[in-house]
Amino acid sequence: MRRVAIIQGEHAVVTEPGVAITTLLGSCIAVCLHDAQAHIGGMNHFLLGEPRPGQTIRAEDMHRYGLHAMELLINAMMQKGAARHRLKAQVFGGGNIQSAFGKIGTDNADFALRFLKTENIPVGQTNVGGTQARKVEFMAWDGVANCTLVSQAPPIRRMPPPRPAPVSEVELF
Amino acid sequence: MPAASAIKVMVVDDQTSMRAMIRRTLQDLGFRDVRDKPSATEALPAVQQDRVHLIISDYNMPEMDGLEFLKAVRSDPVIGKTVFIMLTGSSEKSVVQKAAELGVNNYVVKPFAPAALKEKIERVFGELS
Repeated sequence: MRRVAIIQGEHAVVTEPGVAITTLLGSCIAVCLHDAQAHIGGMNHFLLGEPRPGQTIRAEDMHRYGLHAMELLINAMMQKGAARHRLKAQVFGGGNIQSAFGKIGTDNADFALRFLKTENIPVGQTNVGGTQARKVEFMAWDGVANCTLVSQAPPIRRMPPPRPAPVSEVELF
Repeated sequence: MPAASAIKVMVVDDQTSMRAMIRRTLQDLGFRDVRDKPSATEALPAVQQDRVHLIISDYNMPEMDGLEFLKAVRSDPVIGKTVFIMLTGSSEKSVVQKAAELGVNNYVVKPFAPAALKEKIERVFGELS
């Protein structure tokens, strides 16, 4: 079996059997999407925002990042041949691991579930919340996900919070 | 200085959540007449029947993508000059170039801040009041 590991800010889409997409989650969320008819599966790993002590991130900014993460995954799956109306989701993560971050894990999970409801994507297995980290292994071709709690939080990769893309990368206007 | 409240806008994106976010952003900027459609195939007859001043359309949509939509708008003798702003992903530079060839007025890279959308609209319409 081949494994494709993803980290925060990434997504992967698989169209062949015998490939697992894996990730390790703390406060972040991983949404697994699967089109059972086309045998296409994908997973992302995102964090809406990680306020540093004394810093606040506006809810609308956080939701913008989440929307973008979900759109990238959905578009990538559709480009491989998945049909939006056949997508089914599984949601993992959103633990409130670091007390200094408040309930950011809960906010992440709430966002993901609200997004899927708004987009009419049915949700199957969910394993969110709590205070433990999780390891997720998604057999993308089959749509089967295994989520196990791990006793220690994953090492925090100090990634900068996502920023809106530059106003213009291609100077045409 | 055009009043945002006088500009009719059509927002086209296949994601309900994205349409809602763009609508909220536009309303915060003072736009009052904001319509939306989940696909270009639905938006095209809608703007042909009831003209708007500004179309904000995603590129990456099933059936008819943003470029095909832009091409259809530009080739229509009645609505051909409607201001058209395309929403793209950061990795879609070739799309922007193609859109420019087809006559797009401007583009915004997702995820975008409200200020970025306002700036792109103002580059076309002038400073909004």
